[in-house]
Amino acid sequence: MMHCTMEDLGALQAGEASVWARRHITTCAQCQAELELLYQRVAQLKALPSLRPPRDRWPAVRDSLRAERSRRRRTWGTWTGSLALAATLAAVLLLRPTGQGLHAELSKAKQQSATLEDSLKQYDTNGRVMSGHAAAVVADLEDRISELDGTLAQREQQVQDAELVKLWRERVGLMRELMTARATRARYVGL
Amino acid sequence: MTVALAVPDVIVARAQAGDEAAFEALYRAFETPVYNLVRRILRRPEDAEDVLQETFLEVVRNIKQYRGEGHLWGWIRRIATTKALMRIRRESVRETESMDEEPGKPGMHVGANLDLERAMERLSETSRAVVWLHDVEGYTHEEIADQMGKSVSFSKSQLARAHARLRRMLDQGAQA
Repeated sequence: MMHCTMEDLGALQAGEASVWARRHITTCAQCQAELELLYQRVAQLKALPSLRPPRDRWPAVRDSLRAERSRRRRTWGTWTGSLALAATLAAVLLLRPTGQGLHAELSKAKQQSATLEDSLKQYDTNGRVMSGHAAAVVADLEDRISELDGTLAQREQQVQDAELVKLWRERVGLMRELMTARATRARYVGL
Repeated sequence: MTVALAVPDVIVARAQAGDEAAFEALYRAFETPVYNLVRRILRRPEDAEDVLQETFLEVVRNIKQYRGEGHLWGWIRRIATTKALMRIRRESVRETESMDEEPGKPGMHVGANLDLERAMERLSETSRAVVWLHDVEGYTHEEIADQMGKSVSFSKSQLARAHARLRRMLDQGAQA
């Protein structure tokens, strides 16, 4: 007599069995017992105790995250360093007599940006807990500044002064917001 | 294993904003279910620990992409499962059944104490993965096939084969 295979039993369990298997199981005590064993095994699997990690892996995860953040900051710092150099070069070029007004504005925006950059260095965020809102604001501003720096680095030599002034002013605005966010977020919150 | 973990939305929001304390809160909430899942799939405890760590690094890197659609555990579980299956693929040299279940063969010590847990340990990691994901985590064969990059029939035949093997091992254990 032909009996159900394990695939047949699995299909029966899932309600997807063939007509033959569905008929056979109603009359075969041996296959009924096998199906019952399958149900029991699955129930036993679900009842197995939960295995816990033998060691605390959080410190390793945390250290990796901090290292990644540190790398990102260094990248940002490289961008801003390049921008500072670009600002110096631009200041030299600005001594040329054309477009004095725009050049002066550009120089002023870059100077303001550099000053704010220096001021921000005094706020070290490592190891401090921010409120969710403050952290979101800071992260968003840092992302936007980083994005803007990328644009500036690519377009410094290509766009007209008026466009550059606009971009640099935007950067100064974001830096001021970041400064405010960091200066006022020194509030510790528990979870 | 049924996991009914509820993490406050504020923790998720803080984690999405980059708050390290919130990352730790998420880790503490999910470390055991993640470890249990990957340990049930992977044979070596040290592999499971590595996957636990990789999973949470991935969770933190991508937490901004979690939009709150579906349970957070479902999202994290998918990452953990993918990592565990990747580990199996990468180390396919171990992808053999650990022992022959025929009685009397060298290395076979199926005693009366052989229980389901020990029988599971003797399955290949692929078989363990299919059994655990289907029977315990409730994945469909389609989902398993998708995550493994295999066909649905592969998943079904792996499950049937694994159960046949478990059945034999448990039977022999009971008779010994």
